[in-house]
Amino acid sequence: MRKFLTFVSLLLIPLAPVAARAHAFLDHASPLVGSTVATAPHEVVMTFTQNLEPAFSTAQVTDSSGARVDQGKAQVSGNTMTVGLKALGPGSYKVHWHALSVDTHSTEGAFTFHVGGR
Amino acid sequence: MSAIHNCSRALALALLFATLPLTEAFAHCFVGARFFPATLAVDDPCVADEMSLPTVSWSRTADTPPATEWDVSAEVSKRITEDFGISIGDVWSQIRGPGGPTMAGFGNLETTAQYQLLKDGSHELAMLLGLIVDWGGTGASNSGIATPYTTLTPTYYFGKGFGDLPDSAGWLRAFAVTGQIGYQIPSRSFDLVQQALIPQVLAWGGSIQYSMPYLKSEIADLQLPDFINHLIPIVEFQMSTPVENNFGNSFVTTGTINPGVIWVGSYFQVGLEAQVPVNAQSGHGVGVLGQLHLYLDDMFPKTIGQPLIGGTGAAPQQLKF
Repeated sequence: MRKFLTFVSLLLIPLAPVAARAHAFLDHASPLVGSTVATAPHEVVMTFTQNLEPAFSTAQVTDSSGARVDQGKAQVSGNTMTVGLKALGPGSYKVHWHALSVDTHSTEGAFTFHVGGR
Repeated sequence: MSAIHNCSRALALALLFATLPLTEAFAHCFVGARFFPATLAVDDPCVADEMSLPTVSWSRTADTPPATEWDVSAEVSKRITEDFGISIGDVWSQIRGPGGPTMAGFGNLETTAQYQLLKDGSHELAMLLGLIVDWGGTGASNSGIATPYTTLTPTYYFGKGFGDLPDSAGWLRAFAVTGQIGYQIPSRSFDLVQQALIPQVLAWGGSIQYSMPYLKSEIADLQLPDFINHLIPIVEFQMSTPVENNFGNSFVTTGTINPGVIWVGSYFQVGLEAQVPVNAQSGHGVGVLGQLHLYLDDMFPKTIGQPLIGGTGAAPQQLKF
């Protein structure tokens, strides 16, 4: 058992307290991921679990034909990314995002929301 | 001899953490939008900077009457380059027979070298090649816990998420599978102590997992409690099938099927599984397996969480969105 404790102690050496950061997961979005909204939103707001690097975090929104319906570069503030939308009609829309947390961990994802009846 | 083994372990670990570069950080097992957690019984399909400390299991052996076995292990994995990493680990075991003697001690030191063959984000597909070496004579072979001979196990690993299914697949897209298959080659063919052949063994296993984080962020945010959104229910299985040099013995496959759940956080994960033996030769009754697993690349993104060579010190590439 003493040998095991020696082994464990060595492993614990690097666990001194540090200022830690981590991967930025999508925590929630508006419109909600996978939701159907009655009226077309003017923007998509995504909130992440970590602060983002504005220069390297971005998003685009496409309609069911693949045409872009966002208004260009996403705005990043802290852990929130916002992308403006053109006037949307009823249909399904896909949000593709890429996030770089402030310690350069990279994550990406995509989700769909729907406007009006499907 | 024991002191030499202790020093060897300490030296190996000290070297692992020495001369770490002060550059920027990258990722663990993310493949596109999919995150593959570190599985408890088998390995995930990525090289990574991570540490399992501890992994604890309790089970009853296949002996008649069965003995009670405790295993406590630790493993640390470190990327040397972006695609090549090594792991080092060991296990302390205690086997207590009913009314019989108790055996306890370290298993052999185990190292693994792994190379990332593929990470295809759009298909959530990862492939990995590895060579596991169980270093004979570095554990308590006198008490029967470890073997005096070395075993080499070249192993292939894969992971596949189903997020690339059409949207109409709905919640099924949160499923993922992982698998591994290895061929154990012992350095000896005959055990003089046991007076038995040492078989070559196919070691195979995998997992089926359902990612609640993936469901929430990619498919449908059901506004579930936050704790639920961090869970990955999982069923792992690990099997051994003797295939060669096993004359006179049974060729029966042994192993366990492990249903359980992993809670995934930003810096660590916690896993708990039941261990269900697949037959009487695999054990008696249901065992338990638990693990605390640390994401070193998230905890220490500028030091330990970097590959030793070729860390992403350069600025990340601007995306063309």
